[in-house]
Amino acid sequence: MIWRFTLRRLAVGLVQLSVLIVAVFFLIRLLPADPVSRFVGLNASPEAYALAEQSLGLDLPALEQFEVFLFGDDEEVGLVGGELGTSWVTGSSVNQEIRQYLPVTLELITLSFLIAVGLGVPIGVLGAVNPGGAADKGTLIYGLFAGSQPEFSWGIIFIFVFFVVLGIAPGPLGRLSPLTDPPDFVTGAITIDALLAGRVDIFLEALWYLSLPILTLSFVLSGPIIKMVRENVAQTMNADFMFYGQAAGLPRGILARDALRAAFAPALTLIGILFGFMIGGAVLIESIFSISGLGQYAIRSILAFDYPAIQGVVLTISALTLLIYLAIDVCQALLDPRVSV
Amino acid sequence: MADSTNTVLSARGLSVQYANESPTLSDINMDIAAGEIVGLTGSSGSGKSTLAYALLGLTRRGAQITNGEIYFGRNDLLALSDVELEDIRGRDIALIVQNPRSALHPMYQVGRQISRVYQTHRGSGGAEAHQRAIEMLRLVGINDPERRADAFVHELSGGMAQRVLIALALSTSPKLLIADEPTSGLDVTVQAQFLDTMWETSRKTGTAMVLVTQEPGILANYCDRVIELDAGRVSKDVSASEFVSTSMLHTTQATSSGQGEGQNRAPLLKVEGLRKTFPLRGTKKVVQAVDDMSLSLFAGESVGLVGESGSGKSTVGRCLLKLLDSDAGKITFDGQDLGVVSGEALRRVRQRIQIVQQDPYDSFDPRWTIEKSLLDPLEIHQIVPPTEARAAIEEGLKRVSVDASVLGRRPKDLSAGILQRVAIARALLMKPDFLVLDEPTSMLAPQDRHIILDVLKRLRTELGLSYLLISHDLTSVASACDRVVVMYLGQVVEQGPTTEIFEKPVHPYTKALIGAHLEENPKTRRVDRTDRVDLEGEIPSPIDLPVGCYLATRCPQATEACDKERQVLSSFSSHHDVRCMRAGQLELDKAS
Ligand SMILES: Nc1ncnc2c1ncn2[C@@H]1O[C@H](COP(=O)(O)OP(=O)(O)O)[C@@H](O)[C@H]1O
Ligand code: SF4
Ligand SMILES: [Mg+2]
Repeated sequence: MIWRFTLRRLAVGLVQLSVLIVAVFFLIRLLPADPVSRFVGLNASPEAYALAEQSLGLDLPALEQFEVFLFGDDEEVGLVGGELGTSWVTGSSVNQEIRQYLPVTLELITLSFLIAVGLGVPIGVLGAVNPGGAADKGTLIYGLFAGSQPEFSWGIIFIFVFFVVLGIAPGPLGRLSPLTDPPDFVTGAITIDALLAGRVDIFLEALWYLSLPILTLSFVLSGPIIKMVRENVAQTMNADFMFYGQAAGLPRGILARDALRAAFAPALTLIGILFGFMIGGAVLIESIFSISGLGQYAIRSILAFDYPAIQGVVLTISALTLLIYLAIDVCQALLDPRVSV
Repeated sequence: MADSTNTVLSARGLSVQYANESPTLSDINMDIAAGEIVGLTGSSGSGKSTLAYALLGLTRRGAQITNGEIYFGRNDLLALSDVELEDIRGRDIALIVQNPRSALHPMYQVGRQISRVYQTHRGSGGAEAHQRAIEMLRLVGINDPERRADAFVHELSGGMAQRVLIALALSTSPKLLIADEPTSGLDVTVQAQFLDTMWETSRKTGTAMVLVTQEPGILANYCDRVIELDAGRVSKDVSASEFVSTSMLHTTQATSSGQGEGQNRAPLLKVEGLRKTFPLRGTKKVVQAVDDMSLSLFAGESVGLVGESGSGKSTVGRCLLKLLDSDAGKITFDGQDLGVVSGEALRRVRQRIQIVQQDPYDSFDPRWTIEKSLLDPLEIHQIVPPTEARAAIEEGLKRVSVDASVLGRRPKDLSAGILQRVAIARALLMKPDFLVLDEPTSMLAPQDRHIILDVLKRLRTELGLSYLLISHDLTSVASACDRVVVMYLGQVVEQGPTTEIFEKPVHPYTKALIGAHLEENPKTRRVDRTDRVDLEGEIPSPIDLPVGCYLATRCPQATEACDKERQVLSSFSSHHDVRCMRAGQLELDKAS
C-alpha cells in the first residue's frame, strides 16, 4: 500500500517538475534581459556578439533551445541524460556546482533545525503542561523580540553583539578561517568531511565558524516550532481521549505517551514544511555570513542571467521540496492510522 | 441512609465549581447500593455530567471539587493521592461517556486500548489481556471480535464505538459503572440493543450503575431509582416508578382523530413514485436517499413519518417544499403539479406549505428581534394589513402558549423549547394549509417535547391543521398523528392508521422499531418483554444497497428469497400497506 502510494506520488511529482521546468525555461527567456551583452559587454562588436550568442545557444529558436536543453547536443547529454548544462559564467557543469553548494545549505539548515527542534519541542511541551509558567513567560518575551526584526537583522545584530562588541564569536567569514585548508571534498558538508578526514580540529573550527549563522537561524525558527508544539500538545491534553484515559485509571507514563503520540504527527508536518522552505529561504543568512550555499549561488546566477544555473537551482529546490513533502506524508501514514494512502 | 454493608458509593456534601463562577454542583448527597441501577436526570446544564465525573474524583479542565466526601468502601476518594486514585478508577469504578469516538485514542487499535486498561488494573500478561479484550467485545455483541479488536476507532460506527467503550469499562469487572448519556448519538434500535446489554451485564455481574439520561423512557425501562438534579442540587431521589408517576405526562396512547380519509375527496397532498439520489463526489456512485415513495394526505389529517436517521425522512420533506428537486415522481398539492409550478404560483404554494426545522436557532436570524422575525414574512406575503400585523403576531404567540414579552428579545435569549414554539407560530402566521415539521422536538428536553406535542394536537383540533410530522421518536408520532408512514433506507416499508401500526405492526422493521421504543412506563419494561423482534447489526450504507429486500441483512425472518427479490409495497388490509413478501406468512406463523 505504502509503496504504491509512494510510487504514485513520485510519478505525480515528476509530472509537476516537468511542467515547472517547461515554465521556468520559457519564462526566463521572455524576460526583457539580454544575457549576451552581459556576457560580452555592451561595447562588443556585432561579430563578437553574434559569436557569443551562438556559443550560448541563444541564436536558435526557443523551442530548439529547449530541445537542446532536454536532449543535449554534440557536447552535452541534456536533462534526460541527467545533466543540467554548463554555467555561462563559470563554464563548469551546473550539476557539479549544485553538488558543491547544496550540501553547504543543507548542513547549515540541518544543524539549525536540530537546535531549534531540540529547544523548541521541550519548551513547547512545558508551556502546554504548565500554562503561564516559566516556559510560557520566556516564550512570550522571546516572541516579542524575535518578531520585531526580520531574520537578516538578527544576523547583523548577533554579529555586532557577539563579534564586534563582545568578541566571543568569529567574524562572518564563511565556514572556516580563511587561513585553514578545508578538508578533502567528500560530502560537501564541512563538518562531516572534516570528521571523515579525521580532523577533529577542523570539525570544531567549522562548528565555531558556523555558530553565529546557526544561532541566527535557530533563533528565528524556534518561534514557530515552540508555538506549534505548544498548541498541539495543549490541544491533545484537552482531548476527550486524555480525559477518558484518566478516568480509566491509566498511569501517568502511558498518558504522557498517548499525548505525545497524538501531538507528534501534526508537528512533524510543520517542521518538514519549514525545512523545505529554508532550502531556498536561507539566502540572506548565507550572504551575511559569506557562506556560499545554494541561496548565494541562486542569487549570483540570477544577477548574471546564467540561465542554465537558474534552471538547475529551481529544479533542485523543487525536487527536494517534493521529496520532503513525500517523506512527511509517508511518515504520517505510518504513524497515524486515520491517514489513508 | 449510608447502610455501609450494601452501599457501594456514597457522596456527602459534594460541591464542584468552574473557575470563578457560582458552584455548578452544591451539597450533593447520594448513595448507590450494590447491583442497583440509578438514573441521574435533569435538564441540560443541571450538572449531570459534572456529577458523574466527580464521583470518580475527576473534573473537566477548569473545574474543581471544592467540598465534600465520596466514600467508596472504606476510603474517601477525595482524600486519596493521585496514584491511589489511579488504581480505583477503571478497576473499581468505570466510566462510559457520551461521545465514544472521541474518548478512544485515534492511533491505537481498540482491542489494545481495552487490553492495556485490563493489564494496568489486573496485572495480567499481554496475551491474556488480549484474550480478555476479545472476550469482552464478544460479550457486548460485536460480530467477529478478533478482527474488530484490530480496528481503529475511525473505522467504527458510533454504535460500535459505544460498545467498545462498554467492553473497556466492564473488562475489569468494576463494582460501579457510571454511564453519561451513553446512547444519545444512537439510533433507537441500536440504543435498545445497547441498553439491554448493559442491563443484562449489570444484573449478571451485580455491577451497580449510574445511568445519566434525559430520556424518561430509559429511566422507566432500565432504572431502579432516579435522582433528579436541578441547577446543581438534588431535587428528587425516588424509585423509578414513583418518579415516572409523579413527573411524566402520559402521552404514549395512540390517538386517532378519525378525521380525513374520505374516499371521495381528493387528497390535499399526493406523492407518487418520488425518487431522490445524491451524487457521491469523486465517484460515479450515488446515495439513494428516497426511492419509490408514495404518500397521500387529506385535508385535516396528520401523518407521522418515522424511521432511523439516514432513512430519507428529511429529504422527503425538503422535496415537498421544493427545496430540493426530485429525480423522479410526481407531487400534487391541492390539484397542482408541483413539478411545473413557477413564479407567482410557486410563491403562493410556498406560502401554503410551511416548514418547521429541527434546530430553531438555525431558523431565526440571530441579529433580529423576535418581533422583526415574525413581522417580516407577514409583510412580504401581505397576509394581513400592516396596521393589524402586531395584533396578529401576538395572537399567533398566544396560540402556541408563548408570552408576548419575547417579542423584544433575540433568539439566543430564548430556550430551544420556547424558540421552537415561536417557529411554529411564525409558520402558522402564513395561514398555511399544510405544515411540515422536521424533527421539531429532537433537540429539545423531554419537558419541552411534551409541550410542543400538546400545541400540535391542540392546533389540529382547533384549526383543523394538516401536517406531516417527521420524527425518529415514536412517542411523538403516536400521540400527534392519525396515520404513520415507516421508512427504511429511503423506502416506505409500512403505512397505516396510528393505532393499527402501533398495536398490530406487520413488517419486521416496524416491529423492531416499536420494540426498541422505550415507553415511559416501568410496568411495560422492554427487558421484561419476551416477544421482541430485534434486528441484527446496523443499517446498511445507502450507497451499496442490498439487491433484494433492504432489510434482509438484519431481518430475523429473512429467507433466501428475501436476499434476491426486490420488495414492493402492497396492500395488507384496507388503508394498511406493507413492503414484505412474507407479511401474510408472518401473520399466519404467529396465529399458529
Ligand atoms: N468548561 C466549562 N466552563 C465553565 N462552565 C462549564 C464548563 N462545562 C460545563 N459548564 C457548566 O456547568 C454546568 C453543568 O454542566 P454539565 O455537567 O455538563 O450539565 P449536564 O450534563 O446536566 O448537561 C452548566 O451550567 C455548564 O454551563
Ligand atoms: S421480505 Fe424478508 S427480509 Fe424483507 S422484511 Fe420481509 S421477511 Fe424480512
Ligand atoms: Mg451532559
